[in-house]
Amino acid sequence: MECIAGALDDAGIALSEVDGLCVAASDWAEGGGVSSLTEFAEYAGITPTFFDSTDVGGCSYIVHAGHAAAAIATGLAEVVVISYAACPRWWPLDTPSFDPFVLPAGPGQFELPYGPTLISAYALFAQRHMALYGTTSEQLARVAVTFREHAANNPHARFTAPITIDDVLASTPIASPLRKLDCCVVTDGGGAIVMTSAERAKDCRRRPVHLAGFGSAAARTQISQIALDLSTPAAISGPRAFAMAGIGHDDIDVAQIYDAFTITPMLALEDLGFCGRGESGGFVDDGHLTLGGRLPTNTDGGGLSSNHPGKRGIFTLIEGVRQLRGEGPGLQIPDAEVALVHGLGGTFCAAATAILTV
Amino acid sequence: MTKGMPPVTDVTSDPFWEGARAGRLMIQRCPVTGMHQWYPRAHSIHSPGASPEWVEASGQGTIFSFTTIQRGMSAFETPYTCVLVMLDEGVLVLSRLEAEPGADIRVGMPVEAFFGEVQGTPDLPLFRIKGDRS
Repeated sequence: MECIAGALDDAGIALSEVDGLCVAASDWAEGGGVSSLTEFAEYAGITPTFFDSTDVGGCSYIVHAGHAAAAIATGLAEVVVISYAACPRWWPLDTPSFDPFVLPAGPGQFELPYGPTLISAYALFAQRHMALYGTTSEQLARVAVTFREHAANNPHARFTAPITIDDVLASTPIASPLRKLDCCVVTDGGGAIVMTSAERAKDCRRRPVHLAGFGSAAARTQISQIALDLSTPAAISGPRAFAMAGIGHDDIDVAQIYDAFTITPMLALEDLGFCGRGESGGFVDDGHLTLGGRLPTNTDGGGLSSNHPGKRGIFTLIEGVRQLRGEGPGLQIPDAEVALVHGLGGTFCAAATAILTV
Repeated sequence: MTKGMPPVTDVTSDPFWEGARAGRLMIQRCPVTGMHQWYPRAHSIHSPGASPEWVEASGQGTIFSFTTIQRGMSAFETPYTCVLVMLDEGVLVLSRLEAEPGADIRVGMPVEAFFGEVQGTPDLPLFRIKGDRS
């Protein structure tokens, strides 16, 4: 509620004007539940008439932004709040076995008995990418090092002390080839976004940021069903967002790309078309993810250094907005006018892409 | 030994698990296109109106990818190696690769299926590097 109150205050909109609510927090392990939407409406003391609890993992809040825009455009809603908060560091209860990643029933009966972990699914992508394209552990590490540099000035970041490639390579092996510093941090945290029509936003306290393009795609859950070329649903969501916005890759000033693990944004760069298939290692090595590069990315430090309660899509939206307002708490890209916000859900199971403009 | 995660089987998957208990790796084939599919479903993903037929796979394949898990879920003792195998029939399956500690494992290596136990769950198809009888 603190997040929502803060976002509404930032917008200059009263809670009583909110008629749309989007939340997705069904992960029991983070303190959520299947009734999160009604529970949260009750907790906040509102009765939204448009609501969406689509939960496809970390990118769900970007999905909500697309759905909210459609609802506002069609008159289903006037003011929509999208919010997320989770407390994985504090939550005291074990995960019960009723989601597809932990339940050895249905399709999961053919994978869970072998003990694949969430991280191991990403590791399988990384290992294959290294074998196919010559991608190195040093290139993976470069992603973590770069985002840590961005986190250095962010007072809200979990970790701000500089790290080196050697630090990443020397960190604890988790699931080869991924090591501890290839993995996102685990933090409590939350955030909120307020969306309304461009007309209504004229009277808001702050200059609005526009959602110019949106795309999403949902594909799979089981590891065995991945695409043989390692493409992910981002290869569908990205082009749809670019087409809707009517802009090209060179127009993007800054990007927020979900980085659950170092391999995560690398595959996204390929799927979204910022580099060719298999070329993300070189793209990262050439310094394109930081100031002066072709695509300064995760300016707040991302999930690898700043924060990651479990589904950090809301933070990619928030940081995208901050960059366009010149308020980035970590690395601020000067005069940024177009931001790309991209997230994945699950283990590259779903994806959503948004393009923001001022 | 902690209990692993035994499968919750169902009417669609029963032929697979019956085959596994008999040491046979059963997969499905589309009667229209002749293409194989994994995992078992009640319909063909290649021709959705068709019911897939069960066939015995060769058990031969190559390593598509692998990962050795050092830190993981409490239900499983580490380390262990999960593997994605591209079966000769053209489908990817997730399993475990049983190999000596420190073994030279590489993407593309030929592997073959055998049946064994994982953490108390019997009759699971597992893989080993071809020619490795350890």
